[in-house]
Amino acid sequence: MKKIKEVRPILLVEDNPHDLELTLTALAQCNFANEIIVVRDGAEALDYVFQQGDYAARPSGPPAVILLDLKLPKLDGLDVLARIKADSQLRQIPVVMLTSSREERDVVSSYRLGVNAFVVKPVEFGEFSEAIRSLGMFWAIVNHPPTHPASFGGQDVQG
Amino acid sequence: MDNAASLPSDAALDRCAEEPIRIPGAIQPFGALLLLEPRHLLVLSRSANLQPLTGMMASPGQTLAEAGWPGTLTAALAEWSNSDDALYSAPAQLPTGRFRLSGTRGPQGLLVELETEPEAPGPGLDALYPRLKLFLDELDPASSTQTIMQGAAREMRRLTGFERVLIYRFDSDGHGTVLAEDGDGSLPSYLGHRFPASDIPAQARALYCQNRIRLIPDARYTPVPLEPPVVGTAQAPVDLSAASWRSVSPVHLEYMRNMGTLASMSVSLVIDGELWGLISCHSAGPRLVGPQIRAASEFIGRVLAHHIGANERSAAHAHRIALKDIEVGLVERLSRVGSLKAGFLENPQAWTALLSSAGAALVWKDEIHTIGATPTASQIRALAEWLHAQGVDRTFCTDCLGTVWPPASAFADTASGLAAASISRLHGSFLMWFRPEVIRTVQWRGDPHKTAVDQSGALHPRRSFEIWQEQLRGRAEPWRRSEIDTLADFRSVVVNLILRRAEERAALSEELQRSNVELESFSYSVSHDLRAPFRHITGFAELLKRRARNLDDTASHYLDNIVQAAVTAGRLVDDLLRFSHLGRAALSCATLDMNKIVEEVRQGIDLNEAQPRITWHIDKLPPAWGDASYIRQVWYNLMDNAAKYSSGSAHPEVRISAGRQGQDIVYIVADNGVGFDMAYAGKLFGVFQRLHRTEDFDGTGIGLALSKRIIDKHGGWIKGEGVAGAGARFCFALPQRNERQ
Repeated sequence: MKKIKEVRPILLVEDNPHDLELTLTALAQCNFANEIIVVRDGAEALDYVFQQGDYAARPSGPPAVILLDLKLPKLDGLDVLARIKADSQLRQIPVVMLTSSREERDVVSSYRLGVNAFVVKPVEFGEFSEAIRSLGMFWAIVNHPPTHPASFGGQDVQG
Repeated sequence: MDNAASLPSDAALDRCAEEPIRIPGAIQPFGALLLLEPRHLLVLSRSANLQPLTGMMASPGQTLAEAGWPGTLTAALAEWSNSDDALYSAPAQLPTGRFRLSGTRGPQGLLVELETEPEAPGPGLDALYPRLKLFLDELDPASSTQTIMQGAAREMRRLTGFERVLIYRFDSDGHGTVLAEDGDGSLPSYLGHRFPASDIPAQARALYCQNRIRLIPDARYTPVPLEPPVVGTAQAPVDLSAASWRSVSPVHLEYMRNMGTLASMSVSLVIDGELWGLISCHSAGPRLVGPQIRAASEFIGRVLAHHIGANERSAAHAHRIALKDIEVGLVERLSRVGSLKAGFLENPQAWTALLSSAGAALVWKDEIHTIGATPTASQIRALAEWLHAQGVDRTFCTDCLGTVWPPASAFADTASGLAAASISRLHGSFLMWFRPEVIRTVQWRGDPHKTAVDQSGALHPRRSFEIWQEQLRGRAEPWRRSEIDTLADFRSVVVNLILRRAEERAALSEELQRSNVELESFSYSVSHDLRAPFRHITGFAELLKRRARNLDDTASHYLDNIVQAAVTAGRLVDDLLRFSHLGRAALSCATLDMNKIVEEVRQGIDLNEAQPRITWHIDKLPPAWGDASYIRQVWYNLMDNAAKYSSGSAHPEVRISAGRQGQDIVYIVADNGVGFDMAYAGKLFGVFQRLHRTEDFDGTGIGLALSKRIIDKHGGWIKGEGVAGAGARFCFALPQRNERQ
């Protein structure tokens, strides 16, 4: 069993208030123990993960998983993904791209940058909350962070 | 234009053509000749008859003064030599009598000829003038060329006293045709007859252009040699091109004797620097014509040539203007239609009228289009290839195609005449006009095909001037200068038109590319931004429904409708995006196992049914060549439709089979469902076209449009047949694998 302090937060990067509300609702229904940290654009997301700017004083440690919207103000999701996966310390953080887009080029770019999962948000809420639930399950609970971050590649699934 | 290959042009005739007629080294005995160095009138050469004829000595190396020539004469010659005058003519009294001195300038010095002035002096210029004036008055500018030639022949005979005067013209092959004649009846009439080109060798023709008159008073003459025959440091033979009494080729003298004429005089008709024809005078007996009459004859020749030239030019001009009218009309219509092909096929009359032809062809890349009477497409193709290989990059005209390109003899009846214009060097594309064969009967004077070479290989002129009739075959009406000019003009217009169209197309495709880029960014943002609100609507409606547990049925129904509508809208967006994607996506083709794909799709459809009731009859299907995921999509759409529209039947059945149609493999999906009215078949494949009400059958109406787009992109076809209430049948065909894929 994990101790409470070991339950790391889920970082949700979402600019659209409606999507944010729906995602938070879906996550709430899952009853995860993880704290949900919400940031509203790409720059803020980077501040959080790199512990800088407004988040310079946050408790250290990477989030359990990052749920990252693709279209974001300032820096978009692909930029954020690229920055995280380029960092040897942070690349271990699982990143799930959540998007409205079915555009192939987004999927291809995301995987090329090392995304861990790519989810096109379903239109129906039932499906949507199911998707969020299973994602959260897998990445926030089942997936343990590595003890030695340098020992594995970013895209590998550790279980 | 070709030379008549059928006429004698063998080695002997070539030797004749090489005969040094400019430097015979001798003159006719009817005059004497001096070649003088121009500055000091130093004698360079002289004819051997100088002393006997004139009683004057002139040894090479002496000046005329040293040789004792009269001072007045030498002074006059010296004055001329220093002047700009090309010619000199003056009388002179010498020991043996009165002489006419004529001087011309040659490359080696002054050529001075002396000839006896007739005892009873012939008509002087003052006597000739009234007659020439009368002739000139007759030359009404409005008269036809024929009338003018007839008048000139008559006047020429009256002036010179020859028994027969012929005026003939050379055609493009060098054969001469007698167009006018005047005679006293003692010599046979040659009017309308043709003389082979070989009668006058090429270098004689050139000389005719330079020296416009030549007299041979008696073909039996003995040539008088020049002493010395060579002059200067180079010891070059004396050039007698400009001399009146140059001795002529013995072959020509034999020709004259064979023809039964001992005296002849020829006056050149030169138009625009080209030998157009000759005035040819003959007498059976000897005939000496004095220098005054010769000058007057030459004058008549020049006036005649002038008039003929003017007449021809104005006729050509009028014709050119008439053709220009047709051309302008044609070009105007060409610029209005979308393509050269349309311009060609829609204006057959103007097209053939442009070059007075019976048929025309347009060879454009791989296409051949024809109007009127033409050779077959494969013959035209071969002709275009030949023209291309010949390097024809502008225009090409011939009136005897079979002679220049023997394979054309096979279709001489339709295309003995060809006028072609290259319109694309790159593609070997041509415009062609054809003229049919015109069989002509020609009356030759002598057999032009008979060479006259004896066993020793020496050339003799022909002896027979008997009429020899020939049917000229493989010849079309010749192309006129104005038509050849028109062809060149028309070609450049068409080429410019093609270039302009190509530029317009390039601009259009640039425009298209730009709008494609815009469309792509548009669909990208649609895919992101348009889907989101629908998701929000369904999401919040669901949440509301969960929260308000005591909603009455109507309120709950309304909420369901909201969700349903938003879900449908979301799916529409997805379908539309998929449809627009297809336009941009590249196919990745492979050999497809259609049995496998159909089986997988069938399982998928059955899985969706709560209780699969459909009976599938699936034949063994041949493999296809295509993009697996897109073809799977087509199968899915067709099979899902079949299942959907037959679901209401008592025993829903779907049959899947395949057949072959030409090069294509055709796949067929048939059901026994509600079918459709063929009246609406045209709407089947349109985007968002539905033939059934939404509450009856679910769907966005994009499946068939998408299928058609996929099949189109593969280069195949798709069609649907149906009967309302009796099932539908959809077929699609995919082309076999080829190199382009």
